[in-house]
Amino acid sequence: METEFLRDYATILIFLFISIGLGFGFIFVNFLFSPSNPDTEKLSAYECGFEAFSDSRMKFDVRFYLVAILFIIFDLEVAFLFPWAVTLGQLGPLGFWSMMIFLTVLTIGFIYEWKKGALDWE
Amino acid sequence: MENINFIYPEIFIAISILGLLMVGVFKTNSFNLVTKLTSFMFLITIPIVFLNSTVSMKLFSNNYIVDELSSFLKILILGSSAFALFFTDQYIKKNKLDKFEYPVLITTAILGMFVMVSSNNLIGLYLGIELQSLSLYVLASLNRDSTKSTEAGVKYFVLGALSSGLLLYGCSLVYGFTGSTNYYVIAENFSADNIALLFGLVFILIGLAFKISAVPFHMWTPDVYEGAPTSVTAFFALAPKVAGFGAIIRILYIAFGNVFDEWQSILIFISVASMILGAVAAIGQTNIKRLMAYSSISHMGYGLAGLATGINEGVTASVIYIFLYVVMNIGSFACILIMKRKDIYLENIRDLSGLSKNHPLVAFCLTVMLFSLAGIPPLAGFFAKFYIFMAVVKADLIILAVIGLVTSVISAFYYLRIIKIMYFDPEQEKFDPISSKGVKISLALSTLLILFYFLNPSILNFFVNLASKSVQ
Amino acid sequence: MAYLLVFLPLVASFIVGIFGRFLGDKISQLITCSFVLISSALSIYIFSDVAINSNTYNLKIFNWITSGGLVLNWSINIDTLTSVMLVVVTSVSALVHVYSVGYMSHDPDKPRFMSYLSLFTFMMLMLVTSDNFLQLFFGWEGVGLASYLLIGFWYKKPSANSAAIKAFVVNRVGDFGLAIGIFLIFKYTGSINFVDVFKAIPTLLDKNISMLGIEASLISFICIFLFIGAMGKSAQIFLHTWLPDAMEGPTPVSALIHAATMVTAGVFLVVRCSPIFEYSPFVLNIIVLVGATTAFFAGTIGLVQNDIKRVIAYSTCSQLGYMFFAAGLGAYHIAIFHLFTHAFFKALLFLGAGSVIHAFNDEQNMRHMGGVWKKIPYTYSLMIIGTLALTGFPFLSGFFSKDAIIETAYSSTSFFAGYAVTIGVLTAFMTSLYSWRLIFMTFHGTFNNKNISLSKVHESPAVMLVPLLFLALGAIFAGYAFKDYFIGSQFIQFWNNSIFFLKEFVLHHPPLWFLLLTPILVLLAIPLSYYFFVKDKKSLDSFIEINKPLYNFLVNKWYFDELYDFLFVKPAKKIGSFFWKIGDGTIIDGFGPDGLTKLIKSVSNKAVQFQSGFLYHYAFVILIGLSILLTYMMIF
Repeated sequence: METEFLRDYATILIFLFISIGLGFGFIFVNFLFSPSNPDTEKLSAYECGFEAFSDSRMKFDVRFYLVAILFIIFDLEVAFLFPWAVTLGQLGPLGFWSMMIFLTVLTIGFIYEWKKGALDWE
Repeated sequence: MENINFIYPEIFIAISILGLLMVGVFKTNSFNLVTKLTSFMFLITIPIVFLNSTVSMKLFSNNYIVDELSSFLKILILGSSAFALFFTDQYIKKNKLDKFEYPVLITTAILGMFVMVSSNNLIGLYLGIELQSLSLYVLASLNRDSTKSTEAGVKYFVLGALSSGLLLYGCSLVYGFTGSTNYYVIAENFSADNIALLFGLVFILIGLAFKISAVPFHMWTPDVYEGAPTSVTAFFALAPKVAGFGAIIRILYIAFGNVFDEWQSILIFISVASMILGAVAAIGQTNIKRLMAYSSISHMGYGLAGLATGINEGVTASVIYIFLYVVMNIGSFACILIMKRKDIYLENIRDLSGLSKNHPLVAFCLTVMLFSLAGIPPLAGFFAKFYIFMAVVKADLIILAVIGLVTSVISAFYYLRIIKIMYFDPEQEKFDPISSKGVKISLALSTLLILFYFLNPSILNFFVNLASKSVQ
Repeated sequence: MAYLLVFLPLVASFIVGIFGRFLGDKISQLITCSFVLISSALSIYIFSDVAINSNTYNLKIFNWITSGGLVLNWSINIDTLTSVMLVVVTSVSALVHVYSVGYMSHDPDKPRFMSYLSLFTFMMLMLVTSDNFLQLFFGWEGVGLASYLLIGFWYKKPSANSAAIKAFVVNRVGDFGLAIGIFLIFKYTGSINFVDVFKAIPTLLDKNISMLGIEASLISFICIFLFIGAMGKSAQIFLHTWLPDAMEGPTPVSALIHAATMVTAGVFLVVRCSPIFEYSPFVLNIIVLVGATTAFFAGTIGLVQNDIKRVIAYSTCSQLGYMFFAAGLGAYHIAIFHLFTHAFFKALLFLGAGSVIHAFNDEQNMRHMGGVWKKIPYTYSLMIIGTLALTGFPFLSGFFSKDAIIETAYSSTSFFAGYAVTIGVLTAFMTSLYSWRLIFMTFHGTFNNKNISLSKVHESPAVMLVPLLFLALGAIFAGYAFKDYFIGSQFIQFWNNSIFFLKEFVLHHPPLWFLLLTPILVLLAIPLSYYFFVKDKKSLDSFIEINKPLYNFLVNKWYFDELYDFLFVKPAKKIGSFFWKIGDGTIIDGFGPDGLTKLIKSVSNKAVQFQSGFLYHYAFVILIGLSILLTYMMIF
């Protein structure tokens, strides 16, 4: 039974091997045929013909991350809410109250971050 | 739903966390208030847990178990956390870490630990571990203006995520081949012939070994212990270890109980590696928190040695070991928190030199702790090691016992070195007077317990015997 | 009562030893002195009870060892011999305790000193009250320990430390002999209780054993080993070297341990074991030889020593020789009599010397004294009494005991009797000579001290003089008062079987000229030494100049120390340092502890370096661990 189960995935495995093989193959072929005679000009960063003004790794305001993280939490909440809403009829009171508790916890978290000022940009 | 009263402690803690968070955020400068409320909550929770301590209940379709073992460990977790909170209040204030999130995060971690020791299900286990770990990551970087502290937090987080990934991968393997996440069902369907299942076992074990910082998954420990604020380090050294042990005992002896032969050698390997590295690497340390990290690594090795026996005595010995380890660490960290001159907390072992002349009583207490950690009779640490070695010898693991003895001799060296520094090196300026009641009380209590444990060891043994029976 | 007598000093020692620091000096001294004084009062009572009324006691304290055929008790066994020793030990000890209060008044460690003294007293009592060899051995070692502690009391002085070690080590040689003697006794008689052993000895007369390639009778072997033990403790020739050095200890210690009590333990042992020694005429002859030789040899050295305490120490050595050859001639009761009288006048001399030393602010060299007899009249007169008693001035105590010994030798038929007589008389003369030399050099002539002016020399306090007075009374009257009991016609009843005589002991009265010979020589010595040491020192110097080699020989104590140093100490040191440097240092430490610690240290350094701080290293280690475990799982 197990082998049969694995056989179903055999095509995927084969495909995986072929794609990996192809990928590496192209890189290898590139190395094989490309001319390679570097000089300083070629190795320097290309930026519209200018010398680079600063490091390409730029500092970012941490608040972007914060907003992103908070967004994910509430996004996920919606992702939970959607299937729940669809099947609420079958879930009964237990399902309803479970979600209510979940939402309460989330709300408390939301209150916390609001009070902490995590949502204020300045 | 009918047995919901057995998880009142967990429910109570969960509601408290939400409540505390709200109290904290709506009041300004609420650290004191929240800390007091948290301590109060601990005080309430301990009797609630204690009320259930003699029952053995399987809840939520056998996925959550409340029995003597879990109750014992929960009380230990609560007690040690209470001490960790209690004796660090002054440290927190002096270092301007008095944010109300600190007690709330500790409480959250405790909730996670409760789930860890009670869960009879891989998902429950994972949730518990994550809840605990996420709180700990934040706690580690609590002092966010300090590079060391944030570095510790990030390191802990990344490596913790890695280990969680391994654990989760193991869970999925086990689930895939046994068809369930419930420990009982896993135990029924687990076949030692299936290499994938064994791989799953190894992955899960590694994930858990990381949590109790056993070698070779210990690398985070010294850095995090050193980097994190001392109050947090003290907490790290206490409760999470207990919870990790509880989880390991339950998963090994229930879910993988049938394939003892398969995991015994892994456990022996981890245990031996921890004992040796903990003993050897600690010798070169100059920072006392780092030293405590290695010390805890080697102690975890001894604890695991008891589990590697696969017999009831071994489990009992391990649980006793953990209990006494917690007591000794409370005392030791209380002493570390005394190391303060002109309002600056010190961490170098050299700073202890000549302590016996300036603070003879503190020096005496620390000496008791260190002797006990080194396992010198008649202190409690000796009995802890003694029980472990008895069980190990009974299980015919003579080599493990021999290595354990040798490493305990080696580790005695660095404990004795501290004692030598305290008693024979030139004295320095006095430490600041100890104004924290918490430190005084913790130190006095733990010293008394360690000193006089030998008078009646059977009290503890009785409880632990009850507890360890529940996994057999 | 006997319990009290024995255990009071122990109790005192414990209290003062442990709580001395809290009790303070005064109370410590009070406790030890009063306890030992009570002990001595009790001992006098017991002496009258036991010796006069002929009672004996054997009180069992508790069963000590029961192992196979070996059944031993801690017990207090009191017969006449023991009661005599009890009187000597406790009374001298009590006086020394009191004296120490004055003598040690400038010492910071008074409680420790008093505690050691009491401990010594207890151990000595254990020794003399024993009814078996093991308890005796226990006491024997105990007094050795106390002696070690007391000689090294001023532990900051290197010379005191080395003297203490020397005393301990030399005694060890003797103890070794004693232990072997006890082993032999146990092996062949199956018991080490005195009563059983003495009963069994006559049945073993014909038994021969072979040891170290020598075949001889068992009894002789036992006796010779016991006697080696006695030689060590009583500082007989060959094992005497520790006694003069032991004078590094405080003077009360010298008086108590190294004159009156401990050093006489050897004599006590021989007398106690008279039921064994009596059956070995061979060993008795050896005892005579050794005793007589020691008497002579120590006397000659005493003539030229300049340290006041060493002169007395050699004198003690010499007097012990007298006791031994008396015992060897079978006159055990006379040996004990001399022990008894000697305890008084020798303790008196030592304590007097202590008083002189005290007066001169810790000066011990006689050449730096002189001319002070008017300044310290009490000490002076007491010392004179001690000297007269020691030299055997007619009707003082030494006269009775020493002359009895010499008379015994004269009338004895023993093989070495002639030798003993000659030595006895000669040594008596020498004794007188060096004793008076001591008196004259110390008290007469000109004042020779540069560190202290004549006016500063002061008489000792009453607390030191009163014990001296008591001892002086003993030195004057002890001989006359007790001679009838100890060696008189009724001595058999007095000793009441505590001493065994194989043949009836008879003392022929020697001719009158011989009786007078010794006292006359002794008296002659007084003007002689006055002439040499006070009047005409020049003639003495020229005499020394003529006999330079002999003088050097004596000054260097017959070169015994140098000989032992060459024979034993240096080779032992060489062997020791070989084992230490090569055996222990290089081989055992190199591969054992040192090597291991080095290994652990380097491993530790590696482990510390391993902790690089880089996150990816850490993750890498986790993955390595993972793959090791997985590989292990796959292979096994």
